[in-house]
Amino acid sequence: STVHVKLATLAPKGSLYHRVLQQIGAAIQKSEGEGATVQIYTDGSQGGEADVVRRMRIGQLNAAMLSVVGLSEIEPTVSVLQKMPLLFRSTDEIDEVSKALLPQAEKNLLAKGYIAVQWSDAGWVRFFSKTPAATPADLKAGHMFVWSGDPDQVEIMKQLGYHPVVLETADLIPGLQTGLIDSAPLTPMWALATQADSSASYMVDVRWAPIFGAIVFTRAAWDAMSEATHAAVRAAAAQAGPELRAYAARADAEAIAAMEKRGLKITHPSAAQLRAWADFTQQLYPLIRGRTMPAATFDEALRIVNEYRARAPAAGGTR
Amino acid sequence: MTLPTPVLEGLAPAHAPRPAERLENAVLSGVLALMGVIPVVELLLRATTRGGIHGAAAIVQHLGLAVGMLGSAVAAREHRLLTMSALTGVLGERARRLAGLYANGIAVVVCAVLASAETRFVLAERGAGEVIAYGIPVWWFEALMPAGFALVGWRLLSRVAPALPARFAGLVGALALAFATSSAATLPGPVAWLLAALLALGALVGTPLFAVLAGTAALLFLHAGLPLAAIAVDHYRTVVNASLPAIPLYTLAGYVLAESAAPKRLIEVFDALFGGLRGGATLATVLVCTFFTSFTGASGATVLALGGLVMPLLLAHGYGARPALGLVTAAGLPGTILMPALPLLLYAIVAGVGIKQMFLAGLLPSCLMAAILILFGLRHEPPRRAAAARPDAKRARRALAGAAWELAVPAVALVALASGLATPVESAALTAAYVLIVATLIRRDLSARDLVRILPECGLVVGGILLVMGVALGLTDYLVDAQLPDQVVSWVQGTVTGRVGFLLALNVVLLAAGCLIEIYPAILVLAPLVTQLGAAYGVDPLHLGVVFLANMELGYLTPLVGLNLFFASYRFDKPIAEIFRAVLPLFVALGAGVLVITYLPSLSLALPRLVH
Ligand code: NA
Ligand code: NA
Repeated sequence: STVHVKLATLAPKGSLYHRVLQQIGAAIQKSEGEGATVQIYTDGSQGGEADVVRRMRIGQLNAAMLSVVGLSEIEPTVSVLQKMPLLFRSTDEIDEVSKALLPQAEKNLLAKGYIAVQWSDAGWVRFFSKTPAATPADLKAGHMFVWSGDPDQVEIMKQLGYHPVVLETADLIPGLQTGLIDSAPLTPMWALATQADSSASYMVDVRWAPIFGAIVFTRAAWDAMSEATHAAVRAAAAQAGPELRAYAARADAEAIAAMEKRGLKITHPSAAQLRAWADFTQQLYPLIRGRTMPAATFDEALRIVNEYRARAPAAGGTR
Repeated sequence: MTLPTPVLEGLAPAHAPRPAERLENAVLSGVLALMGVIPVVELLLRATTRGGIHGAAAIVQHLGLAVGMLGSAVAAREHRLLTMSALTGVLGERARRLAGLYANGIAVVVCAVLASAETRFVLAERGAGEVIAYGIPVWWFEALMPAGFALVGWRLLSRVAPALPARFAGLVGALALAFATSSAATLPGPVAWLLAALLALGALVGTPLFAVLAGTAALLFLHAGLPLAAIAVDHYRTVVNASLPAIPLYTLAGYVLAESAAPKRLIEVFDALFGGLRGGATLATVLVCTFFTSFTGASGATVLALGGLVMPLLLAHGYGARPALGLVTAAGLPGTILMPALPLLLYAIVAGVGIKQMFLAGLLPSCLMAAILILFGLRHEPPRRAAAARPDAKRARRALAGAAWELAVPAVALVALASGLATPVESAALTAAYVLIVATLIRRDLSARDLVRILPECGLVVGGILLVMGVALGLTDYLVDAQLPDQVVSWVQGTVTGRVGFLLALNVVLLAAGCLIEIYPAILVLAPLVTQLGAAYGVDPLHLGVVFLANMELGYLTPLVGLNLFFASYRFDKPIAEIFRAVLPLFVALGAGVLVITYLPSLSLALPRLVH
């Protein structure tokens, strides 16, 4: 067989994400038979998402599990699914937007030489801070973490009157400890694992943005596989989908509960405070539209969410 | 690895720079200066207003790439690329010339292969259309990588083939070879082994270290049928790492300090304060040398810069020649793990731990090493000095006042970091700016003309190190790609049981490694693997880092390759064997210190935990 898949992920060895990738790998090997190989690189051993995309460009890797951070380097329109803060209130709303936008995004990806299977969300980013914060304005006084791989974000936060500090991920926790930064948008799972909550012990219960991603293959790797294998890969991925989504929701809740037990204080904004977050998007969106994501996709996503809310006003829900 | 120190070479600059060279130096200096200015301005703007420089961090990171490649080209021009070999010293004139031709010839071939592989990377990146800021495409900076290798290769070729026709013939040959590697399928085993043997021979006779590492990586990639452009991905991601700009900036601060009159003033302070006390001369020697090493990151260079000042001090206080020699040779060692030493920074970057935490972790172990050196000095101080001159309060006050600006340097770095005012890179830039302003505007130790010499020199040294770093990660990447670390980890786990067993094995292996390789290649090549192993045995990464560095710093004092032995031999004009005899008791005592650091994790972890 000429099928040699080399697939990278940031997910840890032994995690559910790794197990799903192993199932897909097993499906490939079973379908392609003798000689087909699938190597899975976990824990970011091939570098961050930008590095992984670079390795796919030159053909060193030919598959990866990527979030929008890496995917948007290939196809910018997917940015709305992760890089548009406060757009989504529930996974139902993510579904609405992804249902409408992903077919075109997949076509664009294909034109650029990539095949995407199994889009999925993987939990929500929330703001952790050293002092209580119920509204965006409460985060203004202190310094806010911005990841060094995202220069646009720095500029946007500055324009909004915030004090962003650009750091590498490794310097985030020490930065919180010395007070170089006072707040950071984090996923609860990451915060739990790194004990970020021991120095930033307040979390505001607002879903800032989802983590959204997919498994992608380079076209060269995909075309080397048979039609039967394509079907087997899609079937294995589709089977894992509900499991991944259920896991994301559960893991978020469990991480928050575990941190609350060891002293994390959760701020639940009042209705008025929630309106402050909505008002914040009015300032933010003009700055990101056409800059961190294409204007047309931006407008489309906003329209879909607004229509969905008009149709089902109670859907600010819990899922 | 021999550090490219001008004092050792004794020939920098060998000739007055030509106009083209002067322009090259000026560009390198300008980029380096810009790397220092941007973070300081950003820091000031953030502290005072809500503004800032758009894309400041990304720009500084990519300027680091530019400094790396420009510095490499200048290092190649000045014959100052890092090499691993000390063997050519024993060869005769004719043999040495042949060895030089062979060594550089190998490097030219590697440069051609790298330039072509990195060009393919840049072409792939160009299509992706990423932008740094102000509409400047990322690939413009990425293109400096193959361009830099081409220039380095051309300069090495000019040494192999000084006549222009021969040089062009060499160029055509190198290009043909580069093309062949880009179209070749998999390199068969026997051919790979033959080429590896040629490369190993080159390493022995002085092929630059970057070419040895990159050549090895290229052979492994070709043998495994992997694209060579992967080396470029790793080169790029290493040199634009967000923490990396701290390296050129602290190096700059160290160079400016060493070239100014700061060493003299500091020795006067410590001699005035402690010189009259028992052990005072030792204390002054150890503190000044440690302080300096923490900035230059090279305790060997400290021997050169300060040896001539502290040796007479020790002798004047009645020390025997041999203990004094031992003390001067080893006195800078604690500085290797004292912030903001380069080895600490490098390890933090390679192992992916926070720089600040790494700084804190090294603090107490560094004090332990310094205490061992001071106790050694006390033991060898002649008893008749015990009741010597009373402390001269007036002289001490005068010396303190006279060195106030220099004494404040560590405080600048520390306060900026610990107060939460600055990121690690900004703190490095602030330190460099402070040192520069003190040395030029306040003290007037250095003139503009001195800076014209010092800035390119610093860029050259940084370029040499970044070049090796960039390609060393390519080698590591092969190991990751082949999933070898996993295999080594499971093999070690099956062979060595328990954390104590692992740490003991680590001590032994690193001590052996320290005889052969210096601390920087060790960090770049061994640290990624050691990090994985440490995680498997549940060793705290900060503790592991300190153990690694403390262990490797002993290597400065051991044959075969022991930088401090070499530098002391050069500085005091004594055979290496004699220096080694002088330093041996200290080596044993410091070795005991390394064991304490290894088996007493709280020494490394207490401070990071306290701050947590
Ligand atoms: Na040298
Ligand atoms: Na050594």
